[in-house]
Amino acid sequence: MADHSTFVPAQNRSNVGLRILLWAILIAFAIWFLLPAYVVVGTSLKDLGEIRGGSLLALPHELNFTAWRHAWSEACIGVKCTGLEPYFWNSVIMAIPSVLLSTLLGALTGYALTKWRFRGANVVFALILFGCFVPFQVVILPMAQTLGKIGITNTVYGLILVHTVYGLAFTTLFFRNYYVTIPDELVRAATIDGAGFFTIFRRIILPLSPPIIVVSVIWQFTQIWNDFLFGASFTTGGAQPITVAMNNLVNTTTGVKQYNVDMAAALITAAPTLFVYIVAGRYFVRGLTAGSVKG
Amino acid sequence: MASLTIKNAIKRYGTVEVLKGVDIDLQDGEFLVLLGASGCGKSTLLNMIAGLETVTEGEILIGDRVINDVHPKDRDIAMVFQSYALYPNMTVGKNIAFGLEMRGVPKAERDAAVLEVAKTLQMDHLLDRKPSQLSGGQRQRVAMGRALVRRPEVFLFDEPLSNLDAKLRLEMRTEIKRLHKRLNATMVYVTHDQIEALTLADRIAILKDGEVQQLASPAEIYDRPKNMFVAGLVGSPPMNFIRATVARTEKGYGAEISVRADGSDQPVLLDLTDHPTDLAPHVGREIVIGLRPEAITQAGNGSQGTQSFMSEIDVTEATGADTLCVLTWNGKEVMARVSSGYAQIIEGTMEFSIDMSRATLFDPETEMRLD
Repeated sequence: MADHSTFVPAQNRSNVGLRILLWAILIAFAIWFLLPAYVVVGTSLKDLGEIRGGSLLALPHELNFTAWRHAWSEACIGVKCTGLEPYFWNSVIMAIPSVLLSTLLGALTGYALTKWRFRGANVVFALILFGCFVPFQVVILPMAQTLGKIGITNTVYGLILVHTVYGLAFTTLFFRNYYVTIPDELVRAATIDGAGFFTIFRRIILPLSPPIIVVSVIWQFTQIWNDFLFGASFTTGGAQPITVAMNNLVNTTTGVKQYNVDMAAALITAAPTLFVYIVAGRYFVRGLTAGSVKG
Repeated sequence: MASLTIKNAIKRYGTVEVLKGVDIDLQDGEFLVLLGASGCGKSTLLNMIAGLETVTEGEILIGDRVINDVHPKDRDIAMVFQSYALYPNMTVGKNIAFGLEMRGVPKAERDAAVLEVAKTLQMDHLLDRKPSQLSGGQRQRVAMGRALVRRPEVFLFDEPLSNLDAKLRLEMRTEIKRLHKRLNATMVYVTHDQIEALTLADRIAILKDGEVQQLASPAEIYDRPKNMFVAGLVGSPPMNFIRATVARTEKGYGAEISVRADGSDQPVLLDLTDHPTDLAPHVGREIVIGLRPEAITQAGNGSQGTQSFMSEIDVTEATGADTLCVLTWNGKEVMARVSSGYAQIIEGTMEFSIDMSRATLFDPETEMRLD
């Protein structure tokens, strides 16, 4: 066994004291941040009597999923008592095409802006980038008019269009910055080999893109799934996404306030983004910091 | 196979003229090297031949077809890039086959062609590897294979060896030379390495500021450089330039310089009588005498047209086969090349023999060679 003692700096009493203090502070902060999550999960597993009788921080007596079932399929949202289920699927139908479309279009735009540089490409990029800084609220009115003219107000398709267009600024930024690191000579070589714009994109550029695609998908999925403003502004009733429905569920009170159902609803709403982070999160940082493609 | 003709090719970016009217005529099967420092326009010219840059003015012809507006893929060219530009996501085999695939060659035919090329380049065992699993030299081979497999009319090389280490560079240089001999294809090769240019080329075009300074065979470029820029660029160490005034002597012509020997500057008359240049119009005027280091060597192995005198050695640099001695003439450094046996012994002042018949004379104003 190797002798590590020589590598450990000599510790005196004050050092040990500092270390204990450090750990104490870290643990305190961890608890501080985890506490709300604990309360939400804990409360969602209790029944109403337990909530009223016990402490907020007490552990639930048993794993009771009644509130979850209720939030998913029985809770009343406005006048309809369908639970969150139909709205969950609304969000899925809205988020998946928007994420895929905005990612694909962002990849194409980024590719065109870096590898097929045309006169004014930088200006175009700057203008697209500007879209990242336009607040949602500013575009609501013109967007509503546009959706009205096209005739897709109050539909999931309207939201897909809004999110795709709005997401394009971010996805273009991601892909553009990633593609600058891919050597131009690859595209030149492929051009001489006889490949055109789309063939080069499909056969050479896209296969090099998984890290940044992951970044774009996570970012876009989180943004679109969590969006409340566009959902609340452009849809009503049955076409609403889950975020709006959850808000309405919490606000629709018939008599007693069902905290456990509210908490379960919040967790159901947040679950997909959490899931995406857990599955693909480790690629996220890797993609954001991905350097040049060597070889 | 085909000839390549460049007629008054001009390239402008906005108002900046990068190429100022280049004329090059290349025979079928000729190996042309474009030599120059970075920014001289050599890569731009290559890219114009490849079709990756547009031609602002002038014409480029392959065979007798003007290709100014022909898409790169229809020009029947292949290019090897400095960074190799291998597709990282494809295996070596797919990399080589990509060009054929894009041209709709059936798979069986493609596979046969790839295998043949891989065998020629001795890399048939690498076909299933990805470029990232290859060494620099192997990547270089794949890049060559990708160009070879299509059997193009013209091969273009953009500094293909500059990413390799010295030993590998030598190997690949020989390989390219052998390839050219075997294929007898027309090749254009861009480099800033004058040794590469001298060893590979049938003809070298030296570019500076978008203009061809000289287009000639390596031997002519080396022995009869057209101007002082060419003379200074080609050869390592470069040609020595000595300023002196031409004077009439008893025998004919000469030019006096001062040579440091035994600690003091002594006047020495460089004899220009046997020099092929007619010096009559230059008597009394200053000229630049260009002497390659190998024209100044140890006395004793002199041949006709040599003269010898004493000169003090400031520093010596051993290069193995021979040793470079730094002398002081006219107060400036002058390089001499001496057999290594001599240089190890000598120190201080020794007798040098100067072959003035190999001197090149230049006009100090125009920097052009005097004929």
